[in-house]
Amino acid sequence: MPEFGPITCAGCGLLCDDVLVDAADDAVRLTPDCDLGAQWFSERLLRPAGAPSATIDGKPVDVGSALTRAAELLRGARRPLLHGFEHATVEDARAAVALADRLGAVIATDDGEWAGAPAVPLRGASTATLGEIRDRARVVVIWREDPESTHPRLLERLGIGGGVERTLVVVDDSDTATAGRAEVRLGWPPGRDLEALTTLHALQRGLTVRAGELELPLSGLLKRLRAVPHVAFVYGAGLTAGAGGQRRALALHELVRALCHERHAVTLELPGAPGTRSADDVLAWQSGYGGNVDFASGHPELVTATQPLDDVDVTLLVEPGSAGAAEIALGSLAAGPGVEVWIRTAAAGVDGGGTAHRLDGVPLALQAPLPGEAPSAAAVLTRLLAEVER
Amino acid sequence: MTAIRISGGRVHDPANNVDGEIRDLCLQDGKVVSEVGPDARRIDARGMVVMAGGVDIHAHIAGPKVNAARKLSPDERRDHPVNRSEGLRSGTGGLVPSTFTTGYRYSLLGYTTVVEAAAPPLAARHVLSELRDTPMIDKAFLILMGNNQVLFKLIRQSGGAVSSQLRDAIAWWLEATGGYGVKLVNPGGIELWKQENGNVTSLDDEVTGFEVTPRQILDAIAGAVDELGLPHPVHIHANNLGVPGNADTTLETMRTVSGRQAHFAHLQFHSYGGKPEGLPRSRASDLIEYLAAHPEITADVGQVMFGPAVTMTADGPVSAVLRDLGADKWINHDTEVETGCGIVPYRYRSGNYVHALQWGIGLELFLLGQNPWQVMLSTDHPNGGSFLSYPKLIRLLMDRAFREDQMARANQRAIQRTALTDGLDREYTLNEIAIITRAGPARRLGLREKGHLGIGADADVTIYHDRADREEMFATPRYVIKAGEVVVEEGELRRSPDGLLLSSRAGFDPEVSRVLEPLFGERYTVAFEHYPVREAALREPAQVVEAQRS
Repeated sequence: MPEFGPITCAGCGLLCDDVLVDAADDAVRLTPDCDLGAQWFSERLLRPAGAPSATIDGKPVDVGSALTRAAELLRGARRPLLHGFEHATVEDARAAVALADRLGAVIATDDGEWAGAPAVPLRGASTATLGEIRDRARVVVIWREDPESTHPRLLERLGIGGGVERTLVVVDDSDTATAGRAEVRLGWPPGRDLEALTTLHALQRGLTVRAGELELPLSGLLKRLRAVPHVAFVYGAGLTAGAGGQRRALALHELVRALCHERHAVTLELPGAPGTRSADDVLAWQSGYGGNVDFASGHPELVTATQPLDDVDVTLLVEPGSAGAAEIALGSLAAGPGVEVWIRTAAAGVDGGGTAHRLDGVPLALQAPLPGEAPSAAAVLTRLLAEVER
Repeated sequence: MTAIRISGGRVHDPANNVDGEIRDLCLQDGKVVSEVGPDARRIDARGMVVMAGGVDIHAHIAGPKVNAARKLSPDERRDHPVNRSEGLRSGTGGLVPSTFTTGYRYSLLGYTTVVEAAAPPLAARHVLSELRDTPMIDKAFLILMGNNQVLFKLIRQSGGAVSSQLRDAIAWWLEATGGYGVKLVNPGGIELWKQENGNVTSLDDEVTGFEVTPRQILDAIAGAVDELGLPHPVHIHANNLGVPGNADTTLETMRTVSGRQAHFAHLQFHSYGGKPEGLPRSRASDLIEYLAAHPEITADVGQVMFGPAVTMTADGPVSAVLRDLGADKWINHDTEVETGCGIVPYRYRSGNYVHALQWGIGLELFLLGQNPWQVMLSTDHPNGGSFLSYPKLIRLLMDRAFREDQMARANQRAIQRTALTDGLDREYTLNEIAIITRAGPARRLGLREKGHLGIGADADVTIYHDRADREEMFATPRYVIKAGEVVVEEGELRRSPDGLLLSSRAGFDPEVSRVLEPLFGERYTVAFEHYPVREAALREPAQVVEAQRS
């Protein structure tokens, strides 16, 4: 297999577009080095030869038969759900929302725990692209995330360790790779994050606060934040997942808003999967709502995190990150054992192209350095819509 | 494609000096033609008013800031569901409608062309993706260049003069993004905002770290756009938006670009007297007086309408001011190298002095000006109010009694400080409405085949019932025809064509890449070679308007 690049790597939400891929041997190597990206390319470049283009109940079939069966399932569904999108492109999401609209389905762009987005409609947020943070932030606070594992080139792309005077603060009581690079480490149990954020906010407002053993480290952190003209907070599911996640996210955005009065302060959210931002943006512009949307009533309605989806009877997985149980799955990797209909799709960024939104919202092209026969998920979804309407 | 004869309508086509003549209009193959065959569909327009399709020169309908506003306010759209129906997509309305709904609602209003007035070039793929999902209308977008660090460097290198490198860089950027024109927002001020919450207050403040001033940015980029001969001149959102006393800045900005063609956006927000720390007063008459003496300058008004709005702007520091006035919700987003963004949901209250003054100043700008080709209709959607309020705004201009009734409901202290109570009894004619809503914007955009009904024009036509209630008349056209197809009949959508992307193109020396590439490498987190939008699916179907260099 040839060397190629520079291309855009869709292995994580950073969408690094300076990547050289060396797939000459059985192993894939990337320059600049990135284990996560290499694994992502490897899974898609080194697929076994002769893999079927579609299966029904695990048996190889042609794509047309698979589409017919998938359409039958969807037409007969009382409450279909489209989800996944871990590696979806903008084009995939456009086609998926069109299908969900036609079916009156639920569509969920984030299968994981809500990652902070529900807090934004309450008060808003201050955000920035990677380059803004790299060029301006003098203190970067990473809150209970380990981008060294999940977004391996994030620190490099934010200019941390790049010679500019900049302080990396990590809030985490776990010994992560990212925490190991921190100049300042602060640690307390996750259950005290809300208290820590509200205490910081209160201290910023000049209120007297008794926060026990948190008081000293938080006062120190605030002093650092107040000493510079520009600060950034990096956060994600580590802060916002689980019970109370919305309140914690809201507390972070309130703190940042308060800091903004005297300096520039921004946040950067790390999504759970590379395709999440693209899918969420498309859903928002086509329906008016981000997150999870229900089209059952003939128009889009926001589905909140607390609303159960236990009446879903047919699920359609679109570009999932790993094999999962579903009646129908469209993906570049092999189907899991519980999938009734599977159609192989091109991996955007390898054998298919498309557009994707980076974690900071910047849209980028995904190249297809090794174009192949497999259709994109967008093309399959469009054919599926036509089949449903037949 | 269907041939259509629109028979017996009263035609208002000011670009061709047609003012209410009863005549037939023939359409074929998407164009206005001189005659059609006997098999042509006949639309009986007797008793109706026929105009070209509306052209919105300044609105915010697509891109990351618009989408962020959608995500910010799900509660605002919950009461505005739009059901899917045969051939049409579902969506949500409200102040920031979803994309399909945006296209449908503009079309239902008789508009056939809309310009998204502020797009970060870095976000071009996002803007193009949304526009692709905005059917029914032709659409264009303006790219933000007033706080671009790369251009700052080129301007500094040339000592503020127009250089061939600057011209080529602007043309390159338009080519790279599919943009139609160049927008300057608070030149220099947004860069300072992103540095440490700063701003500029005068045209001669220096942009820290770049050794350029707003005046140099305005002068150089307006000059470069002028020399390139782009179809639309530089589109300026001046410094000090919303600040009492900013009329001086606006006038100084106009003087700075004098001798060049320029369009000033939402002039109402830039027409204030008073002192920065005090209450504003109207200086609309000064601005109108300047425009009267400078035909090379045009403006859209940015009328505020009482009720809810969503302020969304690249002018981040302005949004921070609104935040500090007690806004519940606020979004700030900084885009590297290029621009900023601020979003604050807002409400204009008739009893509030400042809001009533803003409302009054907008009407003054419309009514004091003697040349409707220079002052065009906009609400800076959704900043001053939704585009859906255009019919009411038209009624305010055409119906003096209605206007006086509305004035009586507004803060009287503010209204008394405008010329509205000073015998300003003008009522717009239908021809003047046709100028400020289609002929004028199309001409200013350099869209020679739009905004009029002459032979060869695009067959974008709106037919209205001639109702005494002008708000009702303009809210529900009897027919809307897009590219020769009837798409709306009596308030019902009949079909949903895609509409075209309008781009402009100016020649440039490809060697400019050698200048730009290292500057990109220093500043952007996107590789130079991956920045241009080359994906055909995002750029088509398109109509490219060539620059005409003098």
